[in-house]
Amino acid sequence: MFRQLRARFGGPLAAAILTLLGIWLIVMVTLPQLQMIDYSLRPNLLPAQVGGPEDGWTLANYITLFNNDIHRAIFFKTLWSSVLVTLLTLAVSYPLAWYLAKVATPRQAALCILLLIVPFWINEILRTYSWFIILAFRGPLNEVLMMLGLIDRPIRFLSGNGGVMVGMVYAYILFMVFPVYNAIESLDDNQVRAARDLGAGTVRTHRRIVIPHAKPGIATGCIMTFMLAAGSYAVPALLGSPGSRWFTQIIYNWFFEGGNWNQGAAYAFLLLVLCIGFMSLVMRVFKVGLGDIAK
Amino acid sequence: MDGSVRLEEVVMRFGDFTAIERTSLEIGSGEFFSFLGPSGCGKTTLLNIVSGFLVPSEGQVFIGGEPVAGVPVNRRPTAMIFQNLALFPLMTVFENIEFGLEVRGVGRQQRREVSERLLALVALEGSGPKRVTELSGGQKQRVAIARALAVEPRVLLLDEPLSALDLKLRQHMRAELKAIQRKTGITFIYITHDQGEALTMSDRVAVMSAGRIQQVADPMTLYRAPATGFVAAFVGENNRLEARVIDVEGQRQRVRLDGGALGELSGYAGEGARLGNGERVALYVRPEHLRPVNDASGVPRFEAEIEAVHFEGAWVMLETRLLASGEKLRVQLGHEVSRRSADSLAVGRRMAFGYDPADAVVLPDDGSPVVDEATGEVVETDRGATPAGGAHVPSA
Repeated sequence: MFRQLRARFGGPLAAAILTLLGIWLIVMVTLPQLQMIDYSLRPNLLPAQVGGPEDGWTLANYITLFNNDIHRAIFFKTLWSSVLVTLLTLAVSYPLAWYLAKVATPRQAALCILLLIVPFWINEILRTYSWFIILAFRGPLNEVLMMLGLIDRPIRFLSGNGGVMVGMVYAYILFMVFPVYNAIESLDDNQVRAARDLGAGTVRTHRRIVIPHAKPGIATGCIMTFMLAAGSYAVPALLGSPGSRWFTQIIYNWFFEGGNWNQGAAYAFLLLVLCIGFMSLVMRVFKVGLGDIAK
Repeated sequence: MDGSVRLEEVVMRFGDFTAIERTSLEIGSGEFFSFLGPSGCGKTTLLNIVSGFLVPSEGQVFIGGEPVAGVPVNRRPTAMIFQNLALFPLMTVFENIEFGLEVRGVGRQQRREVSERLLALVALEGSGPKRVTELSGGQKQRVAIARALAVEPRVLLLDEPLSALDLKLRQHMRAELKAIQRKTGITFIYITHDQGEALTMSDRVAVMSAGRIQQVADPMTLYRAPATGFVAAFVGENNRLEARVIDVEGQRQRVRLDGGALGELSGYAGEGARLGNGERVALYVRPEHLRPVNDASGVPRFEAEIEAVHFEGAWVMLETRLLASGEKLRVQLGHEVSRRSADSLAVGRRMAFGYDPADAVVLPDDGSPVVDEATGEVVETDRGATPAGGAHVPSA
C-alpha cells in the first residue's frame, strides 16, 4: 500500500497519510474500545479502592444482563425491533429506489432525490420532534383521519412501538435508498426487457432479475440501517413510551444516571457484539463479501 | 403455427420527431426478413413495435393474423435477441434457457429436456451447468438463441445480434442462424446495418432510410434493380453520374441520356421509375460492371486517369477520375482482366472504361448520398429539402 501511495503522492506525503490513518485507527478507535473492554471486565469501585485487592478482572458485569429479566428482555426487544425497522425501511425504500433508478426521467429523479435530502439538512432531534407532533394524540394525523371518517376516536400512536418505528424508518431511509438505488441503477435495462420479453411479469422480474442483481446494495442498506437502529438513542428517547425502551437508553442510564461506567461498558460491548453478529449473519444469508459492500 | 407479421399504416412519433413514417408491410410465416439501414433509420423502433416495447402512435400490428394492440410484451408470441444479448449473468446456461419455461410453469424435468435439446441444436452440449460469464462471445450468442427459442415463439426478433462478434465468427454465425431458421421454420425478423448480413441470410430485405422503407425485395433484386438512389448507393458499391433524359424507348424503358461533358450515355430505368424527357436523373453503374474497352467497341465509354490501384486479392479496385468532367469513378477488375492489362494498371495512366447499358440503372435524381466519414457508409441521400420527419440526425 505504501508503494502505491508513494508512486502517487511521493514519499513524505504518503508517509503522512499512513501515519494519520494509523493514529486514527489506533488512538481513536482501537485503544478506546480496548479501554471500554477493560472497564467492562472490572467491578465498579470507589476511587480509593482502585488498584486495591478487589480491583481484578471479572465477568460480573456481563452476568448482570442475563440475571436481570427486564434488561435482557429489552436487549432482545431492541434486536427484534431493529430487524423490523430494517425490513420496514427496505419495504419503503426498494420501490422508491426502483423508481429513481429505472422509471423516473433524470429530471424527476433529481427532484425526488432533492426532496429526500432536504429534510436531512435539519437536525435529527428536530426532525424526530416533528414526528412527535404529527403522531400526538391530539395531533394533525389523528385530526385528518377523523375528518376523513376513517377512525372514530384518536389513536395513541406514541404508546407502544409504532412511533419509534415510524421515526426510525424516516430517520434512516436515505441509508437504505442510496445503496439500493446505486445497485439497481447499474442493472442493464435490457436485462429487465429480456425477462419481460420471455414472459415474466413484474413480480418475477424483480424476484429473479432485479433483486439478485441489487443484493449487495440491499445488504449494505440493511446493515447500515440495522446498526443505526440498534444504536439509536434520540428516536426512542423522543418517540418511545415507557413500554418501548431501547437498549441504548439502558446503557445511557448506567453511564450517566447510575454512574457505573463498568456496567455501562459491558452493556455497550454486548450491543457491539450483537451488531457485528447481525452483520455477519446478513452477509452470509445474502452471500455477499465485505468487498461487495465496499463497492 | 402462423408466424406472419403485418404492419398496417404504422406511424411512430416521439414528440415532434417522426421515427417511422406511415408504413404498411407484410412478412410471411417462416420467412427470414431483414430490415437494413444506417443507424437511426428507425429499424430498431420497428422491431420494438412488433415486440411490444413500443406502442405505435398510429396503425395496427398483426401477428399470426391477430391484432396485438393492448397485448403486453410478456404475452406476445415473439422473442427477442438483444444486441448485447442480455443474458442473465447470475444464472447458469440452463437457468437462462429455462427462464421462459419457468415463467410458464413448466416442470423441472420437462424444462431440462427442452434446454438439452436446444443446447444440442446450437451445438453447445454439456455447457448447461456453466455460468454464462464463463462462455466465449460465440457461445453466449448461441445461448441467447437457445433462450429465445425455448419459449417457442412464432416470431424471433433479432436486433443486430452479431455486431459484437469478430469478423470470422460473424460469418460463421450467419450460416448458423440461417440453418437454425430453416430447421425451426420460425419467422425471423432481423435488424442490421450490415448489408452483408442482410443479403446472405434473408429471403427478403426492407431497406430503410430516415424512417421510411425504401424498397422491399429479395437480395438479388435489391442488388440488381434498386428502386431508389438510396438503395443503389447503400447496397453494394455504385458509381453515380448525373445526367438528363433525352429519350425513353420501349417496354423495358431503355433511356438515352445526356451526360453533359461525358456525351451521350444510356441505361435502363429502375423498377417503377417513371422518367420524362429532359428530367434530371442519376445513372448508377457498379464498379464490377466497368471494364477496359478499346475505341472500336460500341458501348458507352469514359476516358479516365487512374489515381490509385488497390489490390484486394480476388480483384483489383481502381480509383479513377473522368477526364471530361473530373468526377470520380471506381472500377473493379477481376483477375482475368487485371492480369491481361497488368502493365497498364499504374497510377497516372489513362484508360477507357465501358459498360453494358443493361447493367446500368437510371433513377430519378434524389440527391447525392451522404456518407458517414468514420465508417465510409452511406447514411442517407441528400434531397436538399429533407422529407417529412424533419432534420434527421443519425445517431452513432
